[in-house]
Amino acid sequence: MSFHHLDQYAHIESPITHTPPVVRLLGTVVVAVGAAALPLGAWGHMAVLALLVGLIALLARVPARVMLLRVSGPLAFVVLASTAVLFLVPGQPVFHAGPVVVTDAGLLRFGSAIGRAVVALGAAVILVSTTGFPDLVSAFRDLRLPRVVTTSLGLAYRLLYTLVDEIERIERAARSRNVGAGARRRRQLAVGIAATALTRSFARGERTYRAMLARGYHGEMPSLRTRRVDVNSLIGLGLLTVTVLATTISAYMIR
Amino acid sequence: MANLIEITDLAYRYPDGTPAIDGISLSVESGDRVAILGPIGAGKSTLLLHLNGLLLAQSGSVTVDGMKVTGETVREVRRRVGLVFQDPDDQLFLPTLLEDVAFGPLNEGKAPREAAARAHGVLADLGLAGSEGRAAHHLSGGQKRLAALATVLVSRPRVLVLDEPTGNLDAEGRAKLVRLLQERDETLVVATHDLEVARALCSRCVVLDRGKIATQGDSARLLDDASFLQQHRLTVPLGDRALRGSTGTRSPKNPHNH
Ligand SMILES: Nc1ncnc2c1ncn2[C@@H]1O[C@H](COP(=O)(O)OP(=O)(O)OP(=O)(O)O)[C@@H](O)[C@H]1O
Ligand SMILES: [Mg+2]
Repeated sequence: MSFHHLDQYAHIESPITHTPPVVRLLGTVVVAVGAAALPLGAWGHMAVLALLVGLIALLARVPARVMLLRVSGPLAFVVLASTAVLFLVPGQPVFHAGPVVVTDAGLLRFGSAIGRAVVALGAAVILVSTTGFPDLVSAFRDLRLPRVVTTSLGLAYRLLYTLVDEIERIERAARSRNVGAGARRRRQLAVGIAATALTRSFARGERTYRAMLARGYHGEMPSLRTRRVDVNSLIGLGLLTVTVLATTISAYMIR
Repeated sequence: MANLIEITDLAYRYPDGTPAIDGISLSVESGDRVAILGPIGAGKSTLLLHLNGLLLAQSGSVTVDGMKVTGETVREVRRRVGLVFQDPDDQLFLPTLLEDVAFGPLNEGKAPREAAARAHGVLADLGLAGSEGRAAHHLSGGQKRLAALATVLVSRPRVLVLDEPTGNLDAEGRAKLVRLLQERDETLVVATHDLEVARALCSRCVVLDRGKIATQGDSARLLDDASFLQQHRLTVPLGDRALRGSTGTRSPKNPHNH
């Protein structure tokens, strides 16, 4: 199931996985903020940032195919949500799409929203592909997020994990008994499976929690990955920040 | 020398009112190998949960290595007592085997590098080298058992507490596990329905029934005593008919079936 393999590039040795998770998280934020701050229609600058993201993906050894696939899902939502600006923003009509009129200002906003989203999503995809969830949580903790938040994030993750696992098991059991021939029957079955999985994973969550306690868990998910911030990572983060800043600022100056 | 584990008049009632343990006293010396036997629902698992403080005594007490098990001592107790659960799926919860095995040492504050090295070592000892990056749910039942054991061995506990270690194992997996445990020198407490395993691993048997100790003694003696085993519902003859199979061809010797 895809959920388990989201961070499949976390175990690859790369300059990116060698940086501590908190540095990766900050880098992602820098790129996303830089992209969001770009002025409308700064296509060249968006391209520069996109190129930067591509370069980092290359370093992290996340294949282009995977990047495109993972960006495209959330991007579809952005496209859907931004379609309205095409018509709603007043401006010169560019063309007619049935009863509505697409304006030049609308097109500019729509294009800019997509461009920024591609950059930000690309950065986010690299982050989650190279960073396991427990490491992400530890990064949040390094940023001094309250312990309550990080701990519940960690527990929620674990519950989600057992939930997916339970669903897989129940599905397998259901399939092996060859039920769910028709589409309608399958839908009914899916609801049943979800409900059973939820109750079961709560019970199992409880037992797993005991197993964690038995092995010395005391409210913090430990991680095997290095968390000490080293000089190289800081230099990397600094370079990234300067590049993004320079790109964004120059976009305002050139206009 | 004081006993490693000392249980005195322990009683435990689950929140729903089920009296699972009802006045148990038991001591385990360092190096002892004790089997906890008894029919289903006898209270075996509940007793084991007390040994490393996952359940705290409602009345009576449990002492481990001289420390009374309470909310304050529980972390120290858990360092000494490694508990392997009845269902390995409850025990393995991280994305990869390596992370799962390193979980204990990391919680103890070991550096990631050392925790990983230890985890590699234990996995190799158990014949799981090469599976470090695999997800637990991709392992076979027997491999999961071994992996669950690894998650506990890695912390080098003084006492190994195993709940039904051979459940769902085939003959080969069971033999492998028994051999492996025979070679270890930790103090051992094993709850099991498998009398052969109890005989192979443990010198002493404690029989629970309805939350009480029905009897205890030398494994070799008790486990050879057929009437004792039947009396405590540890073996129940399947009966004439069941042994022959209820649907197969009937024995021609039986004059009533024509
Ligand atoms: N979480 C719980 N809540 C309420 N009652 C429970 C709970 N867990 C166990 N019990 C009950 O406590 C009694 C002892 O259960 P326990 O699991 O200790 O038995 P067991 O000897 O380990 O059985 P088995 O051989 O089947 O594993 C049983 O009657 C059981 O139904
Ligand atoms: Mg049990």
